[in-house]
Amino acid sequence: MKKIILAASILMAVYSCKKEEGAKKENTTETSAEAPKTNNKIVTLNGGITEIVTALGHEKEIVGTDVTSTYPESLKATAKDLGHVRSMTIEPIMAVSPTLILASEKDINPDLMAKIKTSGIQTEVFKQEFTVDGTKKLIADVAKAVGNTDYQKLNDKIDADLKQIQPIAKKPKVLFIYARGNMLMVSGTKTPMDALITLAGGQNAVTDFEDFKPLTPEAVVKANPDVLFFFETGLQGAGGNEGALKMPGVAQTNAGKNKKIIAMDGGLVSGFGPRLGEAAVGLNKLLIENTK
Amino acid sequence: MRTQSKLYFYLTIGAVLLAIIAVLALNTGVYDFGGTSPFKVLWQYIKGDPGLSLSDKYVIWDVRAARIIMAILIGSMLAVSGTTLQGLFKNPLATGEAIGLTSGATLLAAIAIVLGGHFKQYLPEMVQYSLVGISAFLGALLAMMLVYRISTSAGKTNVVMMLLSGVAITSIGFSITGFLIYISKDEQLRDLTFWNMGSLAAATWTKNVVLTVVLMISYIVLLPKGKALNAMMLGEKDAQHLGVNVERLKKQIVIITSLMIGTCVAFSGTIGFVGLIVPYILRLLFKSNYVFILPLSTILGSILLLIADTFSRSIVAPSELPIGILTSLIGGPIFIAILIKFKKSL
Repeated sequence: MKKIILAASILMAVYSCKKEEGAKKENTTETSAEAPKTNNKIVTLNGGITEIVTALGHEKEIVGTDVTSTYPESLKATAKDLGHVRSMTIEPIMAVSPTLILASEKDINPDLMAKIKTSGIQTEVFKQEFTVDGTKKLIADVAKAVGNTDYQKLNDKIDADLKQIQPIAKKPKVLFIYARGNMLMVSGTKTPMDALITLAGGQNAVTDFEDFKPLTPEAVVKANPDVLFFFETGLQGAGGNEGALKMPGVAQTNAGKNKKIIAMDGGLVSGFGPRLGEAAVGLNKLLIENTK
Repeated sequence: MRTQSKLYFYLTIGAVLLAIIAVLALNTGVYDFGGTSPFKVLWQYIKGDPGLSLSDKYVIWDVRAARIIMAILIGSMLAVSGTTLQGLFKNPLATGEAIGLTSGATLLAAIAIVLGGHFKQYLPEMVQYSLVGISAFLGALLAMMLVYRISTSAGKTNVVMMLLSGVAITSIGFSITGFLIYISKDEQLRDLTFWNMGSLAAATWTKNVVLTVVLMISYIVLLPKGKALNAMMLGEKDAQHLGVNVERLKKQIVIITSLMIGTCVAFSGTIGFVGLIVPYILRLLFKSNYVFILPLSTILGSILLLIADTFSRSIVAPSELPIGILTSLIGGPIFIAILIKFKKSL
C-alpha cells in the first residue's frame, strides 16, 4: 500500500512539474510577440500605477511590485515585493515571469531600463505628471496598456471627490517634511506634495527651489509655515509630534508655536493615482481643522 | 625552470578553483528554470536548442553568464592594476584609489548622474546611455594626466610626489562629489550611493567584449614586467643599472592602470579593496616576487570578485547588496587573518 501511495505521489509530483513547465513556456512565448491584452502577468514599478491597475480590476494579474506599491494591502500576499526601483535588478523581475512591465519614467534607473528593454518583455513606461489632468491621462494610458476600456469611472470618482474640497479663505502655508533616517528633506515646487497642497487649498511654504532639499533651520524659519505636513511613517521616525517640534528652527515658526502638525499615509498622498481626490479631500479637511 | 613549473602549478589550481566558483555562481539566483538545471539550460543555449523559452535564454545567457564573466574580468583587472601600482611605488598601500584615479572617475561619474539631465538631450543616443560610464573613464584618465604632470619634471617622475598629488586630487574629488550629493535629487542620491559602492547588475556582453579587449592589451604589456618590477624593489638607480628603462616602465604602468581602472569603474562603479588586498595576500604567501604574484593576481582577483558578486545577489534576494560592501566584508577578515599569521615576518 505504502509503495502505491509513494508511486502515486511521485507521479503526481512529476505531472505537476511538467504542468508548471508547460505553463511557463506558454507565458514566455507570449513575451516575444504581441502580448494579449488580458490575463497578463504584470509587474508594476510605481505605487500610483499599481493602484490604477488594481482599481481597474486587474489586481490578480499583478505578480510583482516595487516598494512604493503599498496599496491595496492584499497585494502583499499575492505579488512579490521586488524592492526599490533604484536598486532593483533584472533577474528577480524575470523570476516572476511577467508578460507586461509598467513603470514611470522618472523612477526607473537607466541600467535596469536597458536590461528590461533587451529582455523582450513588453514594457510601458509612463510619464507621470502631478496634476489632476496628468493623473487622468495616466489612468487612461495604464488602462490601455492592460487592455481595459472601462476607466472613465475612476476619473469621474476623482472629479466627484475633488468637488468636496472646501475653499480655505486664508491659504495656510504648508511645509512638507520628508524624514528618512537622519536626513530631513523639505519639498519645493514641482513635487507631488506641492501639487497636492495646492489642490487641497493650501500653499507650499517653500517656493524658491524645485524638488526635495535638505532642511536647514534658517530655511524653516524663513519659510514660516502654518502647518507641518509629514508622511505617517516619517513622523513616527522623527519621534512623533514631540520630535517634530524639536527639529531645528521649527519652534520659531507659526506651526511650531501653535503645534500644528499633520500626517497622512505616504502611499495615499504621493501616489497620484485613482485616490488623488481622496488624498486631496483628506488633506483639505486636516488643513481646515488646523487653521481654525 | 623550477620556479616556472611552480607558477604554472599555482595558476592551474587557481583556474580550477575559479571554474568551480563560476559553476556555483551559475547555479545561484532567484530565477527558476522550471525544474531544469541552469547547466542544462546553458548547454541547450549553446547548442541552439529551439525549444528553449525566450526568458530562460535571456536569464542564463544575458543575465547570469554575462555577469559572471564581467566579475571575472573586472576582478582580474582591479587586482593586476593594484599589484603593478604597488610594485611601481614600492608601497603596499598604492592602489588606483591612492593615486587619485578612482576619485577622478567617481567625480566625473557623479557629475554625469547629477547634472547629466541638463545636457543629455544634445548628445547622440548611444552616448546618452553610457554617459556615466564614459565620464568615469575620462575622469580616471584626467586624474592620471594631472598626477603625472605634477609629479614629473625633466622627464623624471617622482614617486612620492605622485602619491601626494594623488591624495590632493582625491580630496578635491571627494569634496566636489560631496557637493553634488548635497544638491542631488532623491533618486539621483540613490544612484550615487549605488555607484559609490559598485554593482555588476548592468553586465552585458557588449561591455564584456570591451573589457576583454582592454584586458588583453593591458596584460600583453604588463604581465611580462615581473622581472622589471623585481628590479625596481632595489631602487630606481639599481634597476636602471640592471637594464630596466625606469621612466618608460613608469609611464606604461600609469597609463595602462588608468585605462584598466577607468574602464572598470565605468562599467561597475567603484569597487574597493580588490586592488589592495589581492597583491597583499599574494605577497604574504609568495614574498615580493613579481614574476610570481603578477600572473597569480589575475586569477585571485577574479576569484575574490566572483565570490563577492555571487553573495551580493543572493544574500538579500530579490534585492541585492552593493558589491563594494561585500568585497570589504570578505576581504577584511582574510586580510586580518593573514596579517596575524605572518605577524613576525612583517
